Amino acid sequence: MTRKQIIKGRGLIAAAAGVFLSSISLPALAATPDSALVMAWNIDAISTFDPAQIGEVVTSELMQNTCDSLVDFDPADESKVVPLLAKSWDVSPDRMQITFHLNENMKFPSGEPATAKELAWSMQRVVQLGYGNASTLTEYGFSKDNVKERIAATDDNTLVMKLDKPYPTNLILQAIGANRVSSLLDMKTLMEKQVNGDLGNKYLATNTACVGPYRLMQWNAGESVVLQANDGYYGTKPKLSRVLIRHVAEPGTQRLLLTQGDVDIARDLSPDDLADLDGKPGLKIERVLKPQLFFWIFNVADPVFQNEKVRLAMRYLIDYDGLAKSVMTYLGVPRASFAQLGAVGALDAKEGQPFTLDLEKAKALLSEAGYANGFESDVLFGTLPHSAPIAQSIQQNAAKVGVKLNLERMANAQLFSRIRGREFKSGMLAWQTGVPDAHGNASRLVYNPDNRAEAKLTQIPAWRAAFQNDDFNKRVQEALLEGDPEKRNQIYYALQKDVMEKGPMAIMFQMYNILGMSDKVKDWTWNGFRVYYTSASK
Amino acid sequence: MAEITTSVPRDNAGTDLRPNPVFLVARIIGKTLLPVLVTLFGLAALTFFIGRMLPIDPVVAILGDNATQEAYDNMARALGMDKPLWYQFGIYLKGILSLDFGQALTTGKPVIEDIARVFPATIELATLSIIIGTGLGIPAGVLAAMYRNSWIDHVIRFTGLIGYSAPNFWLGLMGLVIFYATLGWIGGPGRIDFIYEFDIKPITGFYLVDTAITGKWDVFRNAFGHIILPASILGFGALAYISRMTRSFMMEQLSQEYIITARVKGLSWARTVWVHAFRNVAVQVVTVVALSYAFLLEGAVLTETVFAWPGFGRYLTNALLVGDMNAVVGCSLLVGIIFVTLNLFCDVLYRVVDPRTR
Repeated sequence: MTRKQIIKGRGLIAAAAGVFLSSISLPALAATPDSALVMAWNIDAISTFDPAQIGEVVTSELMQNTCDSLVDFDPADESKVVPLLAKSWDVSPDRMQITFHLNENMKFPSGEPATAKELAWSMQRVVQLGYGNASTLTEYGFSKDNVKERIAATDDNTLVMKLDKPYPTNLILQAIGANRVSSLLDMKTLMEKQVNGDLGNKYLATNTACVGPYRLMQWNAGESVVLQANDGYYGTKPKLSRVLIRHVAEPGTQRLLLTQGDVDIARDLSPDDLADLDGKPGLKIERVLKPQLFFWIFNVADPVFQNEKVRLAMRYLIDYDGLAKSVMTYLGVPRASFAQLGAVGALDAKEGQPFTLDLEKAKALLSEAGYANGFESDVLFGTLPHSAPIAQSIQQNAAKVGVKLNLERMANAQLFSRIRGREFKSGMLAWQTGVPDAHGNASRLVYNPDNRAEAKLTQIPAWRAAFQNDDFNKRVQEALLEGDPEKRNQIYYALQKDVMEKGPMAIMFQMYNILGMSDKVKDWTWNGFRVYYTSASK
Repeated sequence: MAEITTSVPRDNAGTDLRPNPVFLVARIIGKTLLPVLVTLFGLAALTFFIGRMLPIDPVVAILGDNATQEAYDNMARALGMDKPLWYQFGIYLKGILSLDFGQALTTGKPVIEDIARVFPATIELATLSIIIGTGLGIPAGVLAAMYRNSWIDHVIRFTGLIGYSAPNFWLGLMGLVIFYATLGWIGGPGRIDFIYEFDIKPITGFYLVDTAITGKWDVFRNAFGHIILPASILGFGALAYISRMTRSFMMEQLSQEYIITARVKGLSWARTVWVHAFRNVAVQVVTVVALSYAFLLEGAVLTETVFAWPGFGRYLTNALLVGDMNAVVGCSLLVGIIFVTLNLFCDVLYRVVDPRTR
């Protein structure tokens, strides 16, 4: 190397060092814009924005803020229904027909008018496409053959919905409010973008085209989502003009971003982080119960768990209070009834969780069942962070009454396959219902119309557990069509008490939606079914 | 002097033995191409069949836990899962030939598009890391060998040991806590601050390059502030490996007799080490660097997760966790191609660097 080269080399190094230093002396930007809500959230699960197709939590929340549905949940009480696209509705005396009167002058972001005609098309589309969400409508008698006639626009502002049975009107409204089946989609745009008769499904994989307070401005898979307020929105204008969501998978990283002020809200903090941040100045923890239950499901086809006394004994091995005060503090509350707190017809917190850890009682029940010396069985569970500690706690208690439980942890997708395929003895998983009504879970966790293996009712956990009880089935049906709300509640109360004793699953906890937030954010509004971005302000 | 010598001039001898370089490269590539194709085919077959045999149900992964059996069956048909396995593999291979790796289940987009989106983030990070790792690692290794058992050697070896043994995600979190949360010197997780995110028009997909081309130096500084910590941490790991290997290669060379000869001839110590000894280990060092680079390109999953870096490693891991086999097989093939290409590149480079291999 010549001297000249060396000098040149030194110059380069100095220049590189200069760039480096000037960059690192840049102070971190520690304020989010006043007109935007910035969230850190694990948004890996987003795969489409088609309301007919999506079924997971993140996209559902985004959808509820980009695509208004016919009716909405009362923010303060999720079991009550309030107007949204429809400003009012009439119910025929026989409860077989609901007539919705829509708001006038609604517009799509494209500027085109949005009418009942597009809404009818959008709802028919859900059934025609036949994705998972279609069951929200098919469950109440709509099918590909009859949906065009049963959901129809009579003029620009009137939509008529005809039912096959006199279901409780509130339940129907809840179902269409919650499950993204009554979004008002831009028919013209979607039909222009149609590929192979998909009714715009492919276009909606990366776009939104509907009436709502916000619209999807940008989505970079695995990176970020940006929502922008719509100018021509018919309802109350959102206070914040943008919602920015950055994908952050690591809870520890989310916590750093929150405490640094780079995000306003962190959605996936770990219980440890939450405990740590709780009460810190400038921050607050917000929580709300969601309609998700965490339970221990028993395969009733198993010779041991076939015995309802054994299943009852297992419930006395669960240390509800101990777990609630340790592992579950920031995750959920004890709940043994299938109807979640907040639902129509649900037992209150006390009556809905009558069990305590009671080894004597468990032992006595096992003796009655003929297992005085215990037995050996398996418990499968997935990657939910609280599964392992709960399973271990139960395993220890079980050992004290001679029951040997082998714990087996696996990927969630594998767990679902095993349980859906009835290939298990017992397992732990979470289940979320779609409506704030006891029927939501009664129809899945209790009701089983056909217990044959070849019926393959895999969407029904009661079927997965090979559990069928004719009396329970009858009561679920009876409660569904009972017209008197008080009588209906009474049927559910009694049913919940019986199912807690004899049902195929030991329900353990109802889970929280919980987040950490900067105290700059005001009026964060949510309930178990809905987050209202429009109310939030700074 | 030339007239009186009777031996064949060296230069001529060299030319006779040395084949045309263009032909040489072509021959190497030709010789290597077949094994490469076989390797890639084997890789595709292996990942495909393992993926299909895993007890993970891709249909449940897409539709979620509470889909009806009808929706389930429709989706299974749409994915071609009702066909026999060999038939599915055939379809898959046919797709690969036209660079169609199928749709990723998680993002709903073609796998190739996803990879095109996430890979630049990883290449950018890996390249900066390897520059840091090599730029510091080689001199460190050589110095350690030169001053063996001195304090310099001890410091370098101890630092290397930390780089080797401290987990990256821990270093990452600690680095974030210190430099981002406490000192505020650098940008936080992510490739860039949110407010700049829309200032970047992807040209190459490398933020540093894109911002430099368009002359947006404030955005460049921001992006640099975001990449420097993860790159340093990954570079530190590479540095540890490269310096350690360089040290041991050099020590072997420095104990050779030709070194003593050179010194006896009066060459300076620095020239002996750098020009004579180092040239002899260059080939091995190149291999080590190339392998380190390949590992970095494969995606540093934990680092990418900690730094919310939207890169390849995170994409692949997420795909694995949800059983998105199209994405997994596509990514595995890409990793295979990276390794094979870097191997090829090394082979060619050996011949350039080391006359003995010609």
